[in-house]
Amino acid sequence: MNTGIRFDGVSVAYGGNIVLDALDLTVEPGEVMALLGPSGSGKTTALRAVAGFVQPVAGRVFIGDRDVTDLPPHRRGVGMVVQQYALFPHMRVDANVAFGLKARGVHGAHGARKAPRDEIAARVTEALEMTGMSAYARRYPRELSGGQQQRVAIARALAVRPGVLLLDEPLSALDAQLRSGMLAELARLHRDLPDVSMLYVTHDQIEALTLADRIALMDRARLQDCGTPQDLYRRPRTEFTASFVGNANLLPVTVTGDGVRLAGAVLDVPAAGAAAPGDPATLCVRPHAIGLGEGPNALRGTVTEVQWRGATHRLCVDVAGHRVTADVRELHETSSLGTEVTLHFAARDAVVLPATAAPVGPGGGAAHG
Amino acid sequence: MASGVRLPLVRVAVPARPRRIPAWVLALPPVAALGVVFLHPLALVLWQSVSPDGGGHSFSAYGEVFAQAAFRDALRNTVLIAAGSTAGSLLLGFALALVIAFVPFPGGKAIGRFIDVFLSFPSFLITLALLFVYGTAGIANGLWTGATGAAAGPFDFLHTPWGVLLAEITYFTPFVMRPLLGAFAQIDPAQLDVAASLGARAPRIVRQVILPEALPSLAAGGSLVLVMCLNEFGIVLFTGAKEVTTLPVLVYGKAILDGDYAGACVVAVVNIALSLALYGLYRTLTHRIDGAHRART
Amino acid sequence: MLVHSRRARRAVHAAFLALFLPVFALPFLVVLAASLATRWSGVLPAGATLEHYRAATDADALDALTTSLLTALAASAAALVTGTWAALAAKGSRARRVIDLLFMLPVAVPSVVIGLSLLVAFSKPPLLLNGTPTIVVLAHAVLVTSFAHQAVSAALDRLDPAYEQAAASLGASPLRVLLRVRLPLLLPSLSAAAGLCFALSMGELSATIMLYPPDWAPLPVKIFAATDRGALFSGAALAVVLMATTFLALLAVSRIRTRAVHR
Repeated sequence: MNTGIRFDGVSVAYGGNIVLDALDLTVEPGEVMALLGPSGSGKTTALRAVAGFVQPVAGRVFIGDRDVTDLPPHRRGVGMVVQQYALFPHMRVDANVAFGLKARGVHGAHGARKAPRDEIAARVTEALEMTGMSAYARRYPRELSGGQQQRVAIARALAVRPGVLLLDEPLSALDAQLRSGMLAELARLHRDLPDVSMLYVTHDQIEALTLADRIALMDRARLQDCGTPQDLYRRPRTEFTASFVGNANLLPVTVTGDGVRLAGAVLDVPAAGAAAPGDPATLCVRPHAIGLGEGPNALRGTVTEVQWRGATHRLCVDVAGHRVTADVRELHETSSLGTEVTLHFAARDAVVLPATAAPVGPGGGAAHG
Repeated sequence: MASGVRLPLVRVAVPARPRRIPAWVLALPPVAALGVVFLHPLALVLWQSVSPDGGGHSFSAYGEVFAQAAFRDALRNTVLIAAGSTAGSLLLGFALALVIAFVPFPGGKAIGRFIDVFLSFPSFLITLALLFVYGTAGIANGLWTGATGAAAGPFDFLHTPWGVLLAEITYFTPFVMRPLLGAFAQIDPAQLDVAASLGARAPRIVRQVILPEALPSLAAGGSLVLVMCLNEFGIVLFTGAKEVTTLPVLVYGKAILDGDYAGACVVAVVNIALSLALYGLYRTLTHRIDGAHRART
Repeated sequence: MLVHSRRARRAVHAAFLALFLPVFALPFLVVLAASLATRWSGVLPAGATLEHYRAATDADALDALTTSLLTALAASAAALVTGTWAALAAKGSRARRVIDLLFMLPVAVPSVVIGLSLLVAFSKPPLLLNGTPTIVVLAHAVLVTSFAHQAVSAALDRLDPAYEQAAASLGASPLRVLLRVRLPLLLPSLSAAAGLCFALSMGELSATIMLYPPDWAPLPVKIFAATDRGALFSGAALAVVLMATTFLALLAVSRIRTRAVHR
């Protein structure tokens, strides 16, 4: 079963408002693709276009080789998991999981001709085992915790053995501790079901970085960037990517012949391609890549804020009017508020991005916590 | 305090605990008012029904009334029309509410508000309107005579139980729709989405996802409408149908037209018993819904 | 959403309108059209006239309207006070179930029977009310008290107890909490209940027809009298007056309500 998803110039509009603008994106068979972006960025709309709940005004949606743009939802054969679980409250757990099997009509799997009832029971058991919920088959949803309900919702989606699994903010309703547990669980499920393509909508970069093979970054109805998590984190192509995937210092610089200039300091960071010499650009350095003390690419400034974060200290340093954030492991006695410090970073840890007119995205040019 | 230090008395900060009036005393005035104008008169009706004019107490009036064909007809009419109207209102109300809630369209909200206004209009307006639509000189017959040239149209059912049935279904359908719309609003739309993506078509979603959730409201709305139909008077009165007599019409006829108060009281007691039994059912059902909702949240 | 294809959705909506419009919107239009016509022997009414409205605003009909308005106002006020008092007293009391049950009973009893019971009870001394407007007002009050009680009870259950607890912790006496915190917070529900009581009383016919004295005949009785003697068109005009008055009252109440909510 090799089914990917392909968006071919898909646009969606509600009452004249474009909420998804000409999306071109391919999810390879067996791949986990995270749609990451702030709320209102169009990521959920893209997912609902695959499920069939919104009708594109332009473009086509493919599941595998099949053009499903005009198919009703019940004939698309996708599994779906939503934020609030949407378990049927009047059905027990096993009936919830069996719902899709009964609705679709079970086809005898493995070529064996079993009675549908036995086949359904077997598939329900299998799906519940996969999510560790076998012990709860006879419970009602209201008797389960949030995390358990979400496992049942996942089992219900997997029971129909979909080629494509759509997950819409599946962990947002859970508390932080449960969330990291479920994240590991989802990663294991993906290893157990290597053929299932997953489209995972989230606004949480940690979920996207942890789970996804690739991340499609959405903002203002458009696809902004797409790549592997490492790629987006290490080599962002836009300020939006840099600020939305991980924390970033975004500093306005001027491109020189073989480096960039930041408030008088010349930094040895190649700016090839980002801008022509003499033009403004943006320097992106991750807070953890900045060290305290002398070194290559030194920046001098005044400490304005010190936060203790357990393993590290976060220093905010005013460098010629720009706020630079650094996560340092060992804090010197001298680095208290108001002292002069020197920061440095390695050239390979920095990227020069084309300057945008105004700060983009929630990062707004400063690192967020 | 063994030492002789005298502390100044502080009397400002702690207000004296006010003497609380017991809750039952507070409840007494409204309950007493209800007793005087409602409960006591109702008890008198019951009393009168077992107190024949000759003096003493007996159930003879019941035997007399039960023996009358007019009473048996009225009882049958009342129950049949109420059952039919309730079934019709439930079907129509469920279908209409389903569309408003789950196949939304511009103006759907306005219709919801229109229903609220509809509920506060008197029932006899519907009969009045139907007289213009299906009456001997109404729209429907006008269409027919205009098209065929016949002297009179074929629609002449307003004075029959069917006319009452049509009017009651029209009037009581909104009473079913309102609680249903409330119940439908409680259903997470994602449930319908998930059901559809699991391969269920609209009829299956209605049957297996929406209906079970709406069943308590449907039952509650249905039993309320059943009670209201049993008690309906204005609609039947306005049809002016001599052959359609229901229990409330019989009470009115015996008391006001015939001056037979004892007989009217007997019929009234039967009507109350019927209605109260069904109303008890309604209260049980609504209580269960409340309980279920509380358990869920 | 239940239906996803555009064509199917259009079909469902067409079916909806085909059912909804004739069954629910048509009656009002028909009554309105009839009130402006002299005869109706075809598809459309004929002989446009305002004659029925002239009749509907003559002294006799205006009397009926005034009677209806006064009855509705008095009955709603009585019902609101009694229903609210009972709901407040029942809240938190052990007798709550009994009180709730008692105040719900009038809904289950046929209006005609309530009329009969008042006739039976108040036709002889010491309380000889038969033949007075009071007995009509009493009947209306009994009939609508349930609705007032139910609305206020439900609103009280929804009211966050934190408000009254905060007020009490600030030193407010129970009476002060009631007057300055609970009742103002209940105002939207109270006005909604008032509107409903008023509208129901305006349209009440079943108990009224058992009780009304000749000099206190409310509008519904007049409408019935008109249609009963075959004057359907003037009956329609009176009905339009009744609907318009009710609608205006509901509108006024909902304006008060929105203002109370947005304060």
